[in-house]
Amino acid sequence: MASPLEHFVNTVRTQTINGTFRELVEYLSKTNEILQKNSQHLDNVLETLDFQQHSLGVLYLLCAKFNYINPTAQDNRFTQAQGFIQDCNGEQIRLAPDVFAELCHLITKYLTEIKQPMKGIDLMRKAIAKLRLFDAQLTSIHADLCQLCLLAKCFKPALEILNIDITGICQETSSSSNNSQFDAKYFLLYFYYGGMIYLALKNLDRALYFFEVAITIPAHAVSHVMLEAYKKYVIVSLLLHGKEQPIPKYASHVVNRFIKPLSQPYGALAAAFELNNNLELNNVINKHTEVFARDHNLGLVKQVSSVLYKKNIQRLTKTFLTLSLSDVASRVGLQSPSDAERYILYMIEEKQIYATINQKDGMVIFLDEPDKHSGSEVLKELETELSLCMELDKQILAMDCDIQVNPQFVRKATGGQDDEQPNKSTYAM
Amino acid sequence: MDFPDFTQLMVDLEKQELEAPNGGASPQVYEQLLAIYLYNHDLCNAKYLWKRTPAQIKSSNPELSHIWTIGQFMWKKDYPAIYRSLNSVTWSDTVADIMLKVQESVQNRAVELISQAYSSIRLETVCAMTGLSAETCSKACLEKQWQIEADTQIVHPIRSNAESAGQTNSEDQLYKLTDFVSFLEN
Amino acid sequence: MPLLIHNTMSQNAVEPMQVDAPPEDNDNNEDEIYVVENPSLDLEVYANSYTGLAKLYRLSFIIDHCPSLRLEALKMAISYVMVTYNVNLYQLLHQKLSELTGPMCVPDVAISTTSQDIPVIDNMWMETRSKKAALKLEKLDNDLKNYKANSIKESIRRGHDDLGDHYLDCGDLSNALKCYSRARDYCTSGKHVVNMCLNVIKVSVYLQNWSHVLSYVSKAESTPDFNENQAQTKDLYQITMTKLKCAAGLAELATGKYKSAAKHFLHANLDHCDFPELLSPNNVAMYGGLCALATFDRHELQKNVIFSSSFKLFLELEPQLRDIIFKFYESKYASCLKSLDEIKDNLLLDLYIAPHINTLYTQIRNRALIQYFSPYLSADMHKMAVAFNRSVSALEDELMQLILDGQIQARIDSHNKILFAKDVDQRSTTFEKSLAMGKKYQRRTRMLILRASVLRNKIHVKSPQRETTGQSGETTVAPGTSSVMLARN
Repeated sequence: MASPLEHFVNTVRTQTINGTFRELVEYLSKTNEILQKNSQHLDNVLETLDFQQHSLGVLYLLCAKFNYINPTAQDNRFTQAQGFIQDCNGEQIRLAPDVFAELCHLITKYLTEIKQPMKGIDLMRKAIAKLRLFDAQLTSIHADLCQLCLLAKCFKPALEILNIDITGICQETSSSSNNSQFDAKYFLLYFYYGGMIYLALKNLDRALYFFEVAITIPAHAVSHVMLEAYKKYVIVSLLLHGKEQPIPKYASHVVNRFIKPLSQPYGALAAAFELNNNLELNNVINKHTEVFARDHNLGLVKQVSSVLYKKNIQRLTKTFLTLSLSDVASRVGLQSPSDAERYILYMIEEKQIYATINQKDGMVIFLDEPDKHSGSEVLKELETELSLCMELDKQILAMDCDIQVNPQFVRKATGGQDDEQPNKSTYAM
Repeated sequence: MDFPDFTQLMVDLEKQELEAPNGGASPQVYEQLLAIYLYNHDLCNAKYLWKRTPAQIKSSNPELSHIWTIGQFMWKKDYPAIYRSLNSVTWSDTVADIMLKVQESVQNRAVELISQAYSSIRLETVCAMTGLSAETCSKACLEKQWQIEADTQIVHPIRSNAESAGQTNSEDQLYKLTDFVSFLEN
Repeated sequence: MPLLIHNTMSQNAVEPMQVDAPPEDNDNNEDEIYVVENPSLDLEVYANSYTGLAKLYRLSFIIDHCPSLRLEALKMAISYVMVTYNVNLYQLLHQKLSELTGPMCVPDVAISTTSQDIPVIDNMWMETRSKKAALKLEKLDNDLKNYKANSIKESIRRGHDDLGDHYLDCGDLSNALKCYSRARDYCTSGKHVVNMCLNVIKVSVYLQNWSHVLSYVSKAESTPDFNENQAQTKDLYQITMTKLKCAAGLAELATGKYKSAAKHFLHANLDHCDFPELLSPNNVAMYGGLCALATFDRHELQKNVIFSSSFKLFLELEPQLRDIIFKFYESKYASCLKSLDEIKDNLLLDLYIAPHINTLYTQIRNRALIQYFSPYLSADMHKMAVAFNRSVSALEDELMQLILDGQIQARIDSHNKILFAKDVDQRSTTFEKSLAMGKKYQRRTRMLILRASVLRNKIHVKSPQRETTGQSGETTVAPGTSSVMLARN
């Protein structure tokens, strides 16, 4: 074993025994070059260290391995990483969260390249659990998990994570590194991928929420992820609400200035949709088919077209008490009464409309929602909703409290007009 | 008809799939999981499960694709085709139980839908949606007290009202109400 | 003679329509192209209500849209344009005339008789007229220079005004506007300011610059002296006031704000309505009446229109319109709508209201439908269709739109053709609303908490150097996107 590596192992050991982990991180962050030069011996070094005891040392070694050694056919890097994430000491790795996250990104990249994303899903869930301090904290590994789930077409594991609303963000910075912030890229990717997962599982409400988060991130430049998220935001808002939802006021100006003009076909799609005319809509779709196909949104766009029939049927329920199936078909622009029957049946099943079909006379009777708001379920629903609201209110109050006692805020509020003002922007939002 | 809960089995199977080394669980896992998704009418997850199933498992286990065919027909709501393909195959022991329940659950959903959506419906449509012969079908209808017009063969379903879920106890409710009021007052 | 003219006219009227269509297209492509076949307009009387460019513009509008009156209108316009210096318009009108008569009259037997009647383009006149105009311009210019040299404010102001008048006479609107506006710096009394405003308003109307019109109306109205001196010159005040109201009404009408247009017109005073450069009292009646009908509720209509002593006088000028308004008020919708259709052709020949006729008519119809149904719980659509001159299915479509817009709270039983008023279940709508509100609150609050932590962590997309990571981000995005979308198709 070459001597620099011996020194490496010794330092890791002594510092671990002394419990001086901060100094260890300090030292490790400067070992990059040594590890790169001696990359052929990394496996030997790894054998001398214990995953749990010397988590920090192993972390840097594994990172180096993923970075500097090209994978071979008989590669043990994944098994090693798996074992490490399984056994590593959470307290130690949280001292170098950026490197730990980096390792996860590298694993994800590797699995993507060898086309076995399925293998990483469970691992990333574990990694997230190790790194975050509480459930609602976002780490950049979240994005990796979502990416792997998308690639593997296996969404259920991601839902467990996605369903938790984020309230805090992991400070992925170790004492020594210079990039001091959570990278916006991973933030955007998490919400973009998350939105796509919800979209695939037809949870449109959540999907819209995720895309909205992605497009309202503060921005000084156009990110491609934002652009794609905006396109999907438009489509999902059509699918869900039947019209283009406005962009929140606090969104960065780049959304209106650059992203909107760049997504012109989607604007046209929304405009045509709002005319409630299938002919018009299909014209727009045909005109921009290439763009939609290039953006991989053609499937969604086709859904938009079919949703318009449903929206029009829904409009009919608002205006008519009874209507013949053939009238429904002609008003909505469907081919035949039996097509209309099929759509109506489907919508009844999905509880999108309340109606009964009379096959004898070929009529539909549209009903108001049948006494929905009576009985104990309603109370129960109210109860749960209320308690959710109360929970959120408590969180807001707590945040308010935090701000009230924040020295910077106090200084500002009491008159001093000092330097930065992160609190103010938080508060004014 | 009873409706067993496959949730535990589903969770186990999902876990097995995730933890399988080299991304390939046993064909049984895929078959059972797919059948359970169909039973739960969780077509989205069924579709993606089918899509992520490794190709060699698909080709070596024709039963798997038979199961998925049913899923596709369910997606299209083509009731006659669902029943046809459910009954055209003798299911292996791995999934036979579940597939039987799939059929029952599809039928049940269809009956529920008919009662919700139709005030009058042709008997043949009922047959098609439930996969029953005209005779059994009319018997079943009468059992449910749905009237059948003899000359026109029109069935008049009765809207079933889903009964409300269990009462909450009043003390608990009072407690919650106090909570709400104190929240709103502040 | 008259018979002969009529003869040629009708001959010309039938066919040149097609011939003329393409050039018309180019002339005013911002307006929709339509043709009015059977107006009952007395052109002579109509034209005599206006002076200056108003007359010419109105005639031109008729020339463009009404083949049966085209020739007559052209002749009138040409003879009128010859008293002005507007050589360009003269040329243009002759061009239109030759399009109309030229190709058609060659094989016509009546050619000799008609040609006597049809004015021939007079190049001599054009030349001398242009020269005269130039001479006058030079003189006025010199005058103005002299005034300026002597710096007598009042003369300078007049000099600008005269120059503006002359430009207007030549049809040079933008220069006219410039001159009138320049007079502003030399106004010494409120009266002058108001006068300047009126001039600017006039030209702005010709230019169809409506926001300009409105701002100058309010400028005139807020001129201090103008309000104080009213005691001595009450008449003058009234005249000016009516002019301002009419101009404002016109501007609001042109920009589609019918309700405020109606209010402005209703403030006009017939005895002082003397504004032939813009509007005739008949116009005021028609514009005001229709706008009021389209936008006022029953009570407003009664109070501000039917019982208005001043507007009543206007309505006397247009008995047909008066009847329509009364019928509407008396809920005799069928005959009301029928009469409306009868006057439609004439209105389509009116430069200012024509573009809004369809909107106004639909609004009036809708108002009638809403009012008709308001007292009922259910209404037979067959009877309703009779009352509105419509087929039942057309009525159904109309009602559907109104219900969707939330203007009628009702639902249609298409099976039995009955319209039912919708009874709203307050209890369940309240439930629904509160639940929806709760959901909204949750969504917003979640977003707020998340955003707070985003800001606290200073996450944001940075400029250029980040852009590259954004791009590499996209490459990571792509496989994910494609996989999902493939799954979807």
